[in-house]
Amino acid sequence: MLNRPVYVVGVGIHKFGKHDASRRDMAFTAGMDAMNDAGIDFDQVGYLYNGYIGGTMMEGVTFAKDFGLTGVPVVHVENASATGSSAFREAVLAVAGGACDSAMALGFDGQLRAMGGGRQAMNRPAGMEASLLPAAFFAFWAVRRMHDNGTTVETFAKIAAKNWNHARFNKYAERQAQAEVTPEQVLASAMVAYPHTAMMACGAGAGAAGAIVATKEIALKLANGRPLVRVMASQMQSEVYQPGHIFLGAVVGPSESTRITANLAYKESGIGPGDLDLVHVHDAFPIEELMYYELLGICPDGEGDRLVAEGATSIGGRIPFSTDGGLIGRGHPGGPTGLAQIWDITQQLRRESGQRQVEGAEIGLAHMMGAGSVCVVHILKSERG
Amino acid sequence: MPTRLPVEEGYFRIPHDPDGSPILLGSYSPAAKTYFWPRRKRCPITLQAVEDCELSTHGEIYSWTFVYMPNMGSQEKDASGGFGAAQVDLPEGVRIQALLDGTEGDFTVGMPVRLVTRQVGTDSGGNAICTIAFRAITTDGSHA
Repeated sequence: MLNRPVYVVGVGIHKFGKHDASRRDMAFTAGMDAMNDAGIDFDQVGYLYNGYIGGTMMEGVTFAKDFGLTGVPVVHVENASATGSSAFREAVLAVAGGACDSAMALGFDGQLRAMGGGRQAMNRPAGMEASLLPAAFFAFWAVRRMHDNGTTVETFAKIAAKNWNHARFNKYAERQAQAEVTPEQVLASAMVAYPHTAMMACGAGAGAAGAIVATKEIALKLANGRPLVRVMASQMQSEVYQPGHIFLGAVVGPSESTRITANLAYKESGIGPGDLDLVHVHDAFPIEELMYYELLGICPDGEGDRLVAEGATSIGGRIPFSTDGGLIGRGHPGGPTGLAQIWDITQQLRRESGQRQVEGAEIGLAHMMGAGSVCVVHILKSERG
Repeated sequence: MPTRLPVEEGYFRIPHDPDGSPILLGSYSPAAKTYFWPRRKRCPITLQAVEDCELSTHGEIYSWTFVYMPNMGSQEKDASGGFGAAQVDLPEGVRIQALLDGTEGDFTVGMPVRLVTRQVGTDSGGNAICTIAFRAITTDGSHA
């Protein structure tokens, strides 16, 4: 539970994708974008949490010098895919706990590196601790789902196509299809790990994103006619033992981690799954998004396929998921991914999302998994004056 | 036949019988009445002490995939164009994730499998460096 209300006052982003921008330049762009969006400068940032997976150990504090030498405390946060979400949570907790009145979370990374103990390129036997590629690990979820529920590859393809198409309305997304993507195209792309094809896999280019949080007093001063965006819940869980728990080689722990963490966030906020207007999840592969429909309580267990068939999770549907393209369409560099979710939800709640705007958006949920593993859930809600 | 050595100590042992299955080195929690692999320093459920144990060498496929990429630690695809992998439930209630012998059409959920060693390298002394894999058991109990 947050000790005092915390608000998102600014968000920023650097285009995701395979481009030549340096990590340093991307971080500067996203950070300045967030400060400009908030209407503050770096001397008004009370804490800086940098989130990155790659790079070198001093990057966070070094890159911060580009914003100015204000003496602000700078901390490096890393939690695999949930790095940006974890950095955001640290910023929220810093403000809620009174350590500062405003804090920035800034995530940046180059192309996401493959997992596997770092030995792939060395032609040495992988150790026992090496993980399978995420495409293979989440294929286990998909094959079991197909066995238990009769889910078809066409359902996975529809989810992936939806997220590719949502990304068409996000100029910062990695995937920029020139025409509407069809499920048939997704299925026709190269098989990576049965039943996952290349177009079902998340983008893994570079990118950066940032968010600034602050007290209500500051948020009101900076509102400038825009609705406030309040952080209603911030929850994180590491693994809790489940039957069939895999200790070696799993990318993430039991899928129940999502249900456990989401329920804590619902309890903290007093908001239920039926109150949500849009949702972001760790949709590195469509099987994840499908299972999270159920684990987040959007529909009963076993009924996620029906949501896909009805188009309920597309923009314009009952409960849109991955409205900026998600990990599949917008991309998943690692460090900034969770902050890109906050960027999109904040814009949605302010009704600033243009062609991808969710009509009447008031409440959004952001969910990320981080290998190892952790689950992070945030719920944001607009407050209109 | 070269001596077979585990790719890493502490996870499994290889019997002298060249046809014998590798033995998984696990833990048992008397307090939780639950088995684990690999070995735990303490019971993750009760936080009490665990006992060393050895686990079954056979199980059933919980889920599987076939990966169309080079195997871990390699830059080249196998002759079959990739590699199989599975999550396998052992009779003790332990779920293991490991490589799977065969090609995409060979696998089904619930298929009985047994542990085998798979050579992944050779050390400077000419010893075969091995990891674990699962292989289908045919209806007469032999290897597929």
